[in-house]
Amino acid sequence: MMEPRNPGMSTVPQTAAAHTDSSTPAVEMDPVEYTLRKRLPRKLPKRRNDVYVNMKTDFRAQLARCQKLLEGGGHREICVHGLGLAINRAINIALQLQASSQGALQLAANTSTVELVDDLEPEDPDEAGEPMTRTRNNSAIHIKVFYPDPQ
Amino acid sequence: MFTGCGVVSGQNQYLTRDAVRPHPGLEASRPIQMENGVTPGMCPVYQTYSNAGQPAVVNNVSAALKTAPLPVPLSALKLGQEGFKKVCRTEEDSPCPFPGLASGVLEMRVKEGSKIRNLMGFAMARMQGEKGVSGGGLSDGGLRQVVFTGSGRAVTKTITCAEIMKRKVGCLHQLTKLRYKVVKEVWESTEGGNSEMTVHRTVPSISILLSKDPLDPQEPGYQPPETLSALWEEREGAEPASQTACKRPFGPLPHGSFPNCKRVCLGEGVSVLPPH
Repeated sequence: MMEPRNPGMSTVPQTAAAHTDSSTPAVEMDPVEYTLRKRLPRKLPKRRNDVYVNMKTDFRAQLARCQKLLEGGGHREICVHGLGLAINRAINIALQLQASSQGALQLAANTSTVELVDDLEPEDPDEAGEPMTRTRNNSAIHIKVFYPDPQ
Repeated sequence: MFTGCGVVSGQNQYLTRDAVRPHPGLEASRPIQMENGVTPGMCPVYQTYSNAGQPAVVNNVSAALKTAPLPVPLSALKLGQEGFKKVCRTEEDSPCPFPGLASGVLEMRVKEGSKIRNLMGFAMARMQGEKGVSGGGLSDGGLRQVVFTGSGRAVTKTITCAEIMKRKVGCLHQLTKLRYKVVKEVWESTEGGNSEMTVHRTVPSISILLSKDPLDPQEPGYQPPETLSALWEEREGAEPASQTACKRPFGPLPHGSFPNCKRVCLGEGVSVLPPH
């Protein structure tokens, strides 16, 4: 699960020691002396009709993008993904799309758990702290917004 | 765009009393102290979506409420800035999102302040049928189905509960439904006037049905058991990119170097295709 995919990510300017994934978290950790750094969620599939919702982009811009995909882009379905706090926004976008389509669009939501990796890096390079990683879980939602097939 | 900011102020002093949230669905107007400031403006959308405030007629607020001058929640609500405080909040009854569901199904209503350990402790005991707990249950093995519902900011927690239960119980069929839920709020002027306003707002809500018995796979929102990773695997063939839905870092954690992470990651050789 923790493939050494981003080895360069965890090197910080002030720590000369290169971080390897083999470092064992045997030491008792004092959270004060570590910098917690969140890695990006791993493995994000991206098709043309995948939309990853975040909390940084303006909501209307993200909504407009979805609308463009469905109306202008000629997609019969798009997939709206949201992780953690962005779940709410993803749901909102999907429901807004559905509401503005006058019922033409349908929603199919799936939920999942995404494993996230945090890097713990010693604050002070002089102290003998080892870089560590810690995994945690976060919830995610994947909403398929689609025109149902006429049958 | 704001993200329900400002909710914190004015909330804290009431949170201590907020161990028990008022039960939604009660039609009576509740003491404002419980809720004021806790649940305004959960998300920007339904602000714009429907904020149809209409001057109200009712005037049944007890005088005791007026004696407690409440700091107006500095919420996204314009109402709050105009000298109004929320008097009561009722969720309108909506039909069950799962038609054809047996009546005795355990429904877990997840609220913003619900503790996951409490919810899960209760729900897991019922599902596993420990110690002969079988109120309304079908048989020896505990309940066959459970529904988690939550709205607004409780949506994330609702999903988390369902995910935990799926992981612990295993072999659960899932059906997820999304919809808007209408919440009626009564606001009252803080300036001694008698004016009241009723606001109908729509909050997104989620309902997750977890069942030990098979469900209709054709139903939109159906998820077969053990798809924890398959959701991601099945799109493995798609073109790789690293556009992310990364979380905004929270709290007092030092995260000043977060953009650095991103840059390094992007430089990993993954082809970055900006979404068109």
